[in-house]
Amino acid sequence: MFFDRYYRWHAVASWTWDAQDETCGICRMAFDGCCPDCKLPGDDCPLIWGACNHSFHLHCILKWVNSQTPQAHCPMCRREWQFKA
Amino acid sequence: METMSSSISSSPFDQNLGLLDSIGEEGIDEIIQSWKGFCSSTASLLNGNGDLSVGSEFVAHVHSLCKYGLDSLAKDHFLCALEETFERNGSSNFWQHFDAYSHVSARELENNQIQVAGIEQVLCKSLEEISLEKHYQEKCLLMLAHALQSHQESVLEGRPDSNVERVYLFSKYQLMVSSVLMTTLPRHFPEILHWYFKEKLEELSKIMSGDSEDSDECQDRDEMDLDEKSKLLRRSGEMEIDACYQSKKFSENNKLVKNIGKVVSDLRSLGFTSMTEDAYASAIFLLLKAKVHDLAGDDYRNSVLESIKEWIHDVPLQFLNALLSYLGDLVAYDRPSSGLKSPFASHPTAHSPGIDTSSQGIIRWKLRLEYFAYETLQDLRIAKLFEIIVDYPDSSPAIEDLKQCLEYTGQHSKLVDSFISALRYRLLTAGASTNDILHQYVSTIKALRTIDPAGVFLEAVGEPIRDYLRRRKDTIKCIVTLLTDGSGGNTNGSGNPGDSLLEELNRDEENQENIGPDDDRNIDDKQAWSNTESWEPDPVEADPQKGSRNGRKVDILGMIVGIIGSKDQLVNEYRVMLAEKLLNRTDYDIDAEIRTLELLKIHFGESSMQKCEIMLNDLIDSKRTNTNIKATMKMSQTGTEQVETAVSLDILDATIISTNFWPPIQEEALIVPGEVDELLSDYAKRYSEIKTPRKLLWKKNLGMVKLELEFEDRAVQFTVSPVHAAIIMQFQDQNSWTAKNLAAAVGLSVDALSRRMNFWISKGIIAETQKPDSHELTFSLVDGMVDSGKSGIGGGHCEELLLGEEDGDRSVASVEDQLRKEMTVYEKFILGMLTNFGSMALERIHNTLKMFCVADPAYDKSLQQLQSFLSGLVSEEKLELRDGMYLLKNNLNEK
Repeated sequence: MFFDRYYRWHAVASWTWDAQDETCGICRMAFDGCCPDCKLPGDDCPLIWGACNHSFHLHCILKWVNSQTPQAHCPMCRREWQFKA
Repeated sequence: METMSSSISSSPFDQNLGLLDSIGEEGIDEIIQSWKGFCSSTASLLNGNGDLSVGSEFVAHVHSLCKYGLDSLAKDHFLCALEETFERNGSSNFWQHFDAYSHVSARELENNQIQVAGIEQVLCKSLEEISLEKHYQEKCLLMLAHALQSHQESVLEGRPDSNVERVYLFSKYQLMVSSVLMTTLPRHFPEILHWYFKEKLEELSKIMSGDSEDSDECQDRDEMDLDEKSKLLRRSGEMEIDACYQSKKFSENNKLVKNIGKVVSDLRSLGFTSMTEDAYASAIFLLLKAKVHDLAGDDYRNSVLESIKEWIHDVPLQFLNALLSYLGDLVAYDRPSSGLKSPFASHPTAHSPGIDTSSQGIIRWKLRLEYFAYETLQDLRIAKLFEIIVDYPDSSPAIEDLKQCLEYTGQHSKLVDSFISALRYRLLTAGASTNDILHQYVSTIKALRTIDPAGVFLEAVGEPIRDYLRRRKDTIKCIVTLLTDGSGGNTNGSGNPGDSLLEELNRDEENQENIGPDDDRNIDDKQAWSNTESWEPDPVEADPQKGSRNGRKVDILGMIVGIIGSKDQLVNEYRVMLAEKLLNRTDYDIDAEIRTLELLKIHFGESSMQKCEIMLNDLIDSKRTNTNIKATMKMSQTGTEQVETAVSLDILDATIISTNFWPPIQEEALIVPGEVDELLSDYAKRYSEIKTPRKLLWKKNLGMVKLELEFEDRAVQFTVSPVHAAIIMQFQDQNSWTAKNLAAAVGLSVDALSRRMNFWISKGIIAETQKPDSHELTFSLVDGMVDSGKSGIGGGHCEELLLGEEDGDRSVASVEDQLRKEMTVYEKFILGMLTNFGSMALERIHNTLKMFCVADPAYDKSLQQLQSFLSGLVSEEKLELRDGMYLLKNNLNEK
């Protein structure tokens, strides 16, 4: 007598960065938010992983790396900073 | 001593005494003779009814009395006799005419036309009689004056200023006449005069209006350009009307005015000058008042001020002009070269062919009448201001009128008082909906802005409304709806339908900016100087704390936000409402929201609206991602020839949100049907492929599901929440479920399930039965719904939108819930404080929290928020509120 012949499902999800930490070690802002210089989270303010597996806002770590000469270190573990391939 | 005696001896009295001493026997005889003769001739002269034959005898007696220096005696006697005669013949007869009306009250006069007509006749007749009498007496007096004068001339043989005697006698006589009349004045006489003038004026006004109709016809041919001309002229303050038309009208009234003029001049000569003036002034004012009421009435769609002014010019001013010129008053004023120029001489005033010369008298009258008209109209409008504002955009002519009146009379405070009491009585009551109050508030702001651009009085009027609204719970919600949702709140049909208040405000603002020369950037020195010169101080009523007029430009949105206290609260409420709206969408169409957000940004600044912007951005991103994912899906499907699942990914859309920027989301565990769940995980997998290293977390209870239930002969469409969809889809395979099993299948508690079930039951799709042996509920599909004839969903397609709110089902935590959560942190502080201090007032708690809770989380709540939280604690029986002091509940028990 009765069945769902057709339906359309509009679902809601939230996205999150698949990172170990909740917040960026440099700016202390949530990863799911954005760094202090950005307005929009997500694609506009991505995360970046170092070889040491620590992650930061891309903008934050770039600032850090550029300020450290000649060789930058990871702010968390003091290892030499290298972007994860 | 010497000077004293010399001054005494020089007095005429002394001289007379000296003269008496020198009179001999003969002289005395002569005096007695002539005195007797004088007395008798006086008596016969005064009572002689126009017979002046005794005149020569009278003159001889006067001469002989004067010879002995008894002229003052003669004068006194003569005046005395005059007074007696006047009292006997003049005044008593005069008043007798009016005896008939002594017991008639004003009201009766109003109803009885015949009596009024009678009054006119009686008044004219009696005035004529008494004037005749007076005229005759004046003749006699003149005879005496002449006699005295001729004697003086013969004695002094020179020409001393002969008029002195006559002027003295006549002024004395005039005084006597008026005092006799005044002392015998019956109480109802002023009333009679008043009614007489009223009647005459009405007659005149009737002639005028009738005449204007006639002339309209005869002027048809050049009506157009005359209209324009007169409009132009009127605007410039000169009410000039076509000359021929005016003179024609004028001549017709001439007779009437002449009659009135005669009455007035007669009354004046009897010494009733001020009483007459009072009578016709009050008659004119009465008529004017009636006219204003008649013209203004309850119609607010037309401006009446001009027609009132016109009428003033046409009727009372014409009348007064004619009257004054008849009485000759105008001539006295008509000295163009005179140094005594009217202060209003430069003022453009009544100047028309009917009025030959603009005179001070007429100007004064004009100003008086106009002031009275303005005041009457103003009072009338103020009394009805509430109604006027209710249909504001249509009633703007009335507002414009009122503005002009107030500019003239300056009685703004009257407006404020009366309007506030009207508001209290009619608007700020429990029966009025918050929406209506807000609409009236906005209309009030708009209307009063016209009257008073500085917003001083608006401040006073708005305060009670704001105070009242602050006490209502749903105020913020209503304001946000009003601001953002045009179709919802707009009930009074102002502006374009479907436009939100915000749009309207924005248009307003643009217009204002275009008009106002407030732009500081591009004004040159000249402009700046003229701005300085045109500066005016604030009205006296202005609140000095509110800053100067320039800083207080009326800003409707600002005044609305002022109700809430801070824009943050408003923005927050808007965010919650926006979230709710966006999450219940089945598409990604957010154009309207973007527009609203842009407008809000203009008013509240970009930074405070940033979270909302991110929310909208999420929607835009979601749309893009959604398309992307579907595209990759298709590609992979066609590539690998995957076995089709029961349902394709086409049916799934997703809104992907940045949780941190959304209001707290209400999550609820939900087990969605297997096929959907598969789709969801597939979708999430695709997402993390595209957006790596990001992943999706489903909020399975959120979103919207469109589904169609098909019955034997028809299909019914529903748009429901996923929870409802999950429930109903369980019935696909199994027609009947026990509550417990169904709850387990969809992952809800039994309570939550039966709450949701109500929806389907109310739609007549599911029936609820309870087995007699157990408490368990059973839900089963209603079959053969067609026969049961549920009218609610009859007829093919019928889209039902279930709004979460009706059963407390919301996607987003409400602002109150959020606040409660945030405040819980402070509960310990508050309880601790009260343990130490015993009892504290609200303000003190607030201040203490502000002082000590400075970090993590800093106390940033408003007094109102604290109050509502504390009252929550009171209702939870943790605290007690006594005389405005909060104290611990158990503390009380110990005592």
